[in-house]
Formats: sequence, structure tokens, C-alpha cells
Amino acid sequence: MSTAPDEWTFHVDHLVKHFGTVAANDGITLQVEPGEVYGLLGPNGAGKSTLVKQTIGLLKPTSGRITLGRWDLVENPDAARQLCSYLPQAQMPIDSFRLREAIELAGRIRGAEIGRVRRRTDELIEALELGEWSRTLGARLSGGVKRLVGFCMATISPGHLVILDEPTNDVDPLRRRLLWNEIRALGAHGCSVLLVTHNVLEAEKAVDRLALIASGRLVAEGTPSSLKEADRAQLRLQVMLVPGAETPAQPGWAGPPVRVGNNLVTTIAESDAPSGITWAAGLIDSGVAEEYALGASTLEDAYIRLTSDIPVDGLHGDE
Amino acid sequence: MATSDVAGLILPFGTVQGGVRRSLRDYGSMVRWHLAGLRMWLVLLGSVQALSGVGFVLGISLFFSRIPTSAALFVSTGVPVINLVMVGLVFGPQLVASQRTAGSYDYLRTLPISRAVTAAAWYTVCLISGIPAVIVSLVVAQLRYDLPLHISLMIVPAVLLTCLTGTMLGYALGHAVGNPMVTQLISQMLVFIIFGFAPILYPIQQMPGWLADLNWWFPFRHMAVVMRAALTSSADPAVPTAYAVIGVWAVVAAALAGWSLGRRP
Repeated sequence: MSTAPDEWTFHVDHLVKHFGTVAANDGITLQVEPGEVYGLLGPNGAGKSTLVKQTIGLLKPTSGRITLGRWDLVENPDAARQLCSYLPQAQMPIDSFRLREAIELAGRIRGAEIGRVRRRTDELIEALELGEWSRTLGARLSGGVKRLVGFCMATISPGHLVILDEPTNDVDPLRRRLLWNEIRALGAHGCSVLLVTHNVLEAEKAVDRLALIASGRLVAEGTPSSLKEADRAQLRLQVMLVPGAETPAQPGWAGPPVRVGNNLVTTIAESDAPSGITWAAGLIDSGVAEEYALGASTLEDAYIRLTSDIPVDGLHGDE
Repeated sequence: MATSDVAGLILPFGTVQGGVRRSLRDYGSMVRWHLAGLRMWLVLLGSVQALSGVGFVLGISLFFSRIPTSAALFVSTGVPVINLVMVGLVFGPQLVASQRTAGSYDYLRTLPISRAVTAAAWYTVCLISGIPAVIVSLVVAQLRYDLPLHISLMIVPAVLLTCLTGTMLGYALGHAVGNPMVTQLISQMLVFIIFGFAPILYPIQQMPGWLADLNWWFPFRHMAVVMRAALTSSADPAVPTAYAVIGVWAVVAAALAGWSLGRRP
């Protein structure tokens, strides 16, 4: 029995996973179409990695279904390992491998023919500018380059569903852009990409659609633009406080403030822009703040609004 | 630059591959994966194995002003068992424990390779690292003591089964015990038990009766019986039973390892 290319839709249906009395996933339902780059966003402990591990056969759901095309991935974990490729959050075990060797061997293990594996390895090494380390042992590679090698190993012979858990961790800004290009290319080749991240700003540029997960539940889903819809005509006011300064009282016209470290962020209506500038400048004059920035609202503002009842520390950091 | 056919690298639509050919190819790939992954360690491991074997063989003569041939023969025919089980039984679980600690264990479990093929590849690596040490130990023993060794063809099943059981026991330990610290502790204990309380390098008659009886239920004594019989072409009536006990341990350990690898909490 064959499955047509357009029938490789990835479905998660009312997925529940309990660890004791804790619901790590609490009735998550979502769908990713072939060729789509789909972001899973959420704070630490939201349940993103739990969902991924059930998809790839490392954990068994308490209830619910996960399917890829006609394949039930919960009932067929062996099929899940062939049909999905996976970049875990941790580094790959490649200390004793030369860079090129690790990628090619990963391709062979995924069952691909050697000629194709070699051509695709050339392509990935060139696209991610890894050529200078091609024969370097993994133990001598930086964390960022190792991460890129891991990406190559996961996508050398990609499954119909490619799961990338925090792929850009440790990667320098230049190669991050190259990496995003490759992730988009996977979608263009027909793979569904499930991208786990809590780097909201990067995800905004890279994904077609995304789901916000908090406390094991899917709290919002849509395109980045649709999730920002409620913030239209809103501006983001960001104030860098002096280290150790107390959070200043918020004016009535500003939205709920979020403080991460010394960074205070709030949203204001466009019509309140002059008041916002005056207020922020006053904080600088009084020695409470060092600088401020006023700009268009971002996906991060939607993220904060939608997950405002959960802790936001580590919003930009690595999980 | 040649543009690769990414679509061709995605699995053919609708198929999940299997069969003997795919398994053989996966086996070759996994052996290469293990050998490459251990390239910084394998030579060192093999050397330490050979050195420890030679150490036992030569060290025993220090206990005697003039070592009886029977004692030299007993130790020299027991050392190969230690050479064959140490990598699989002790190094294997410690490797898995370090993979768990480093976080790479999950990736290895998601590779599209069957559990039997993965285990077979690891067994091959254990054989590759153990057999040279066996040869070195026996050559040194022969040169030093001029032993009456008569190696029979039964050496083949004796070596294969001894290494298999040691590897599968280590495999089960590494994968069934979730806590890396506990795994390390148990593997250290196994070294202690094998060297001190298993009748491999000394006759079982030297042990208290209860400990000899207890050893009957474990595989190490039996490994020494089949190895010694194969190296001296002796007709020990305990050999068939010994093969049976070692075989049962291999099957049970392999089943436990398979269950642990397939377990999804």
C-alpha cells in the first residue's frame, strides 16, 4: 500500500501524557501539513519535548493518537524511527568522529544509498560553511559547529517528519541564518518540519505556523501574523533598567509589564506613544533606567500575552 | 557543486523498510558507527585487556618458587574468559551510562535500526576488542610455561558464547538500569565478583561449598569450564551443562536488554 505525497500529514489528536499526577501534555491536538515548518513554542517545562518524545517513540502517551500519513506512530514505534528524523536537544555523540564521517554514517544508518549520501553531505557542508572542519574530530569542534553537524546528521536523509529540538542553540548569528535557510529548504522539499524552540523572535521569521504550549496545553495556534493580530495598533516599549533598580510603577495606559533581568517590556497603544516616550525618558533622567526602545509589537508580545499566567524567566534563553 | 536529490533521500513513499538485506546493511553501518565512535579508545581498551591478561598469566608464577604446570595451565586457560567478557560486561554498561549522562542516549535510541541488529553490532565490537587479547595472553602463557595446550574446534563456540553472554549481560545492565550512577556501581561490583568470587582463575574446590553451589547458578564458572575444555581438548563431563547454563543466561540477558530498549515509559 502506498501513501501519496500529500497524504503525509502529521496529526496529534487529544494527546495526554501524565507523569504521576502531573499532566505534561494535557489534550494537545495539532496538525502539520507536508512542506510546512511548524513551530512549537513555550517556556521551560511547557511539554514541548514530551510531545516530541512521544512522536519519536521514546515515551508512550497516556492517551491520544499520533499519526503520520497512514502510520500510527504510537502503535508502530519502529515505523516512527524510520519515518521521522530527530535532532535532540543534547549534542550528538560525535567526539570520536570526523565531521564528514559522522554525517555520512548517519545517512547510511538511515538507509540511504551511499552516492546520494555523499552528494547531500557535500551540499550541507557547503550550505552551512563547514568545509574547514570537514576532517576535524568532533571532540575538537566548538559547540555551535557540533550543533550544525547534528542538524546535518538528522537531515542527511530526512524523514517525512523532521523534528528539530532547539536547532540553533550555540550557533553563531551568521550560521544561524544559513541554518534557517536549510530548514526552510526541507519544507520546500516536502518534509514537514516540527521545530521546538523558545526563541520567539527567530521562530517568527522561520515558521509557517506555530503553536504556543503552556503547562501542557495548546494555548494558541496560527501563523505568526494571526497571533499578533490582537497586538495590532500596539507598540512595544522596552526599558533597560539600571541593575538592581526596583520595577517602576506602571502608568495606567500601559499593558501588563514583564521584567526579565533588567529588561522591562510593556505594550502601549500607538496614540499613547508620546506619553510612553515622556515616561521612559523620565525614568532615565531619574537614574532608574539606562535606555529605552519603542517599536512595533512582535510575536514575543503575543507570546507574553498568551502565556502571561506562567513564569517568563528565560524567555530568550535555552531550555 | 552537484545538487543532491533530497526527495530521493526521503524514504520511498509508503514504505517502511525491512528484510534481511536491510538488516545486513544496518549491521555493517552500526559496526562502523561503534568502531568509529570508539576509535580513540579501542586500541587502548585492547591493549589494557592484553596487558591485564598477560599480567595474570605471568603474575601467578610469583606465588610459587617453581610453579606447577597444572596451576599455570589453570590460570592461562581462565584468562581468556576475562578477556572476552570485560568489554561487554563492564565497559559496555559504563558507555551507556555516559551516553545517558551526556544526553546522547535518546538520539541513539531513535536511530531506525532494529534492536537485534544494534545488539549484534555491539557484540561484534566486543569480539573484535577481546579476541586479540585472548591470543596475546595464550601466546605469552605458552612461551612462558610451555603448556600442554591442545586447542580443539570447540574453541569457536566457547569464544562466541562466552563473549555473547558477557556482552548481553552488560547490554541488559546498561539499558535496564536507568540511573547512570547505579549502572557504574553494579559494573564495578561485577569486576570485583569475577576476579574474587568466581572460580575462573582458580579451581572451584578452593571455595567454600555454599559459594561453589551459588556459582553453579551464574555463568562465569561455566564459561571457564567450556574455555578450558576447548583449549586442552579435555572431555570434561560438565561441558554440556555449562553450555546450557551460559546459553540460558545469554537468552535471558538478551531478552531483558531487548525489553529495556523497547520500553517506553
